[in-house]
Amino acid sequence: MFQKVLNFSLISFVVSIISMAAIADVEVPQDELAQETVYPVFDNPVSVKNRNIRDIGTVDVGFFGGLALTEPIYNTSKVGIAMNYHFSETHSLGVMFAKNSTGLSVDAQGLKNDFGLDYTRAPYPEYSMMADYNYKLYYGKLSLTKVAVMNTSIYLSSALGIVKYVHKSYPAIALGVGERFYFTNHLSLKLDLRFYAHQAPIPFLTGALRDGSKGPSDPIPSYDSFQERLTYTTNLELGLNYLF
Amino acid sequence: MKKYVIITTVLVCILSLETAFAQTKKKSLTAKKAAVTTRKVTPVGSKVYSKSKGSQLRSQISAGLGMMKSGQFSQAANAFLILSRRSDAVAERPQIKYLLGLSLMELNLNQVAAFQFVDVIKSADQKWTRQAIEKLLIVTDRLGDETLLNYAIQRIDVARVPQQNRDMLYFRLGEIKAKAGQHSEAASLYDRVGQSSRYYFSALYGKGLAQAESNQTDLALQSFRTLLEARNNSKVTDTNRVAAQMAIARILYQKQDWERAIDAYSKIPRDHFMWHNAMFEKSWAMLRGARFRSSLSNFQSLHSSFYDDAYIPETLLLRAIVYLYICKYDEMEKVVGLFEAQYNPIAANINQFLSSRSSADAYFQEIQKINILRNEPETRKKLILPYNVLKYISEEGNVRRSYAYIKKLADERKLIEDNPVIRSSALGSYSIRILNNRIKTTKDTIGEMVRAQLISMKSEIRDLKEQASFIRYEMINGKKEFLKKKLTGKNLSEVQVDEDQDRSFYIQNGYEYYPFQGEYWLDEVGNYHYLGKQSCE
Repeated sequence: MFQKVLNFSLISFVVSIISMAAIADVEVPQDELAQETVYPVFDNPVSVKNRNIRDIGTVDVGFFGGLALTEPIYNTSKVGIAMNYHFSETHSLGVMFAKNSTGLSVDAQGLKNDFGLDYTRAPYPEYSMMADYNYKLYYGKLSLTKVAVMNTSIYLSSALGIVKYVHKSYPAIALGVGERFYFTNHLSLKLDLRFYAHQAPIPFLTGALRDGSKGPSDPIPSYDSFQERLTYTTNLELGLNYLF
Repeated sequence: MKKYVIITTVLVCILSLETAFAQTKKKSLTAKKAAVTTRKVTPVGSKVYSKSKGSQLRSQISAGLGMMKSGQFSQAANAFLILSRRSDAVAERPQIKYLLGLSLMELNLNQVAAFQFVDVIKSADQKWTRQAIEKLLIVTDRLGDETLLNYAIQRIDVARVPQQNRDMLYFRLGEIKAKAGQHSEAASLYDRVGQSSRYYFSALYGKGLAQAESNQTDLALQSFRTLLEARNNSKVTDTNRVAAQMAIARILYQKQDWERAIDAYSKIPRDHFMWHNAMFEKSWAMLRGARFRSSLSNFQSLHSSFYDDAYIPETLLLRAIVYLYICKYDEMEKVVGLFEAQYNPIAANINQFLSSRSSADAYFQEIQKINILRNEPETRKKLILPYNVLKYISEEGNVRRSYAYIKKLADERKLIEDNPVIRSSALGSYSIRILNNRIKTTKDTIGEMVRAQLISMKSEIRDLKEQASFIRYEMINGKKEFLKKKLTGKNLSEVQVDEDQDRSFYIQNGYEYYPFQGEYWLDEVGNYHYLGKQSCE
């Protein structure tokens, strides 16, 4: 019977009450505001439908600049390119190549200027090349201005590859966490914090680094004379990516 | 000599008469004794047992009763089944069948038991029929088998039903009356169900519904409020409580009390399956109460991607009408277009299915797929009818009840299959045969229900399509008027809120608003607000 009540003729209804049309009020009445924190029930509940960012089966390509936050000796900056293929909304696999800047860090340059210790005599990293796996933890959106909404995703990364020093390549592993902020459905700002671990030469070699500007000079050492050890570096990378 | 012959003939006659009398007396005694044993008059023309056969049968029945008393119900049932098949046990058959039914009830084989009680009732045996009807009432209530339940109820004398089964009987009788359209009688029968009965809440709901059907809206409101109060201490999503709330809202709608109906609909909890229906019906109430903006807010949730599977053709037309009120002709065109794009293929699909399939089994097989595939969206391609149509039908009350009945039959069958003693006995194969037949019949019944529902949907879509064409006409007319006024230089529309947005919907989540940009989030469903303005002059 209720159905009958609801199913009365739409057209007769239109004709009968069209004159009642009133000016809509943009103020939302209090009783229409959310009062529950529970969600509707579904057979197969999912968090989001009709996603703005659909990255299943897509490739995203980007470039980035990085900063080695804990690097004491060598130039801390680098630039690179990356490409990822998204197998699903959660998993992606790609490659990245980062070219280290040459020269010394500000601190190492200070040591050279003040004490004549020239760390350019030690082997330095040239580039790194890695396979990068990303696991998306979170996909969401944020609105800072109330005018626009920006989609974002947070992911874990795990990369495996090599770090090429001037004289030798070392296998390396990098674990990290990253976030993307989507300006459009394709263009995103990418922020990565990676923790690198790999064998690397120890630049602190006694009797090898004095360049003679502040006293006696040491003979230029061969790169092989530097000892190696497991080295950890924290890197912050910032880039722009485009989803094709 | 002649005299001697006459005397001899008389003597022979006397002797013959005496013998005949003696035989008659003997027969009469045997019959009397048998009647005492079975407490039954032997029907005329039925076979009369010899003394030895009768006592053997009696002792076998006694042995069966002994097994029942000692809890050996499967052995007892088996023994009674064998006895019931004996051709010389015609007179005792109602008793044997009744005892077989009792044993089967103890084994939880309710369907098989029901058949025994039906046989007893059919035998018209005065002694056992009344008891068989009572038991049939109990087993069919357990099974939810409406056909047999009706069969039992039509034959029962309420006054003779034990007190503990009266509530159930009144409730079931109320259901039958309600189905027959006798709403006043239904309401008074529901009213007789006691408060302590497990049928009380359902009866209260049924009573309210019957009162509403007979336009006694105030009484109906009172019944539903009583139900709501009775369930006040249960959790918010308690179905009885929510159903009562929903019914109150519907009655208020029926009374055309739009604002109170809206309030009542708003109390349906979001995490209850009735919420989506409540949202739709609330939109109607909002529309009737000229709260166009509010109803548009609801439609954003109703038509979100989360409800892609819902069969809700009427909502699209309703949305189009709201746009017509506020002169949003472009939006209106989109919605009418969406209705046609979604429901024209559905109508064609239903028509094709109905015209190409005649067997009930074909309809059952199609609806059956949805129960298997419900959680596998990828395999929906195997469906011939659209998923939303099948989902809608499968959620209909009569289909769900029939499925519940099939499940009980399947459980009963499993009970037999899992019990090696019963499975390997005559009782096992007999019971399996009954259950299989019953399952098949019920599947056919479901198939028929599906067919009937499809025919109804076909007719509904046809009507709605007609209405859609009227709405389109109104839209074109409105557009024409709009252009006329524009050409004459009248300033028509106010500046819209965020005209550069594709859709003027905002999401209110917590204390902040942000624009809707095409992506639907679960926590936002129900929180959309239309903030556009009307464009009428």
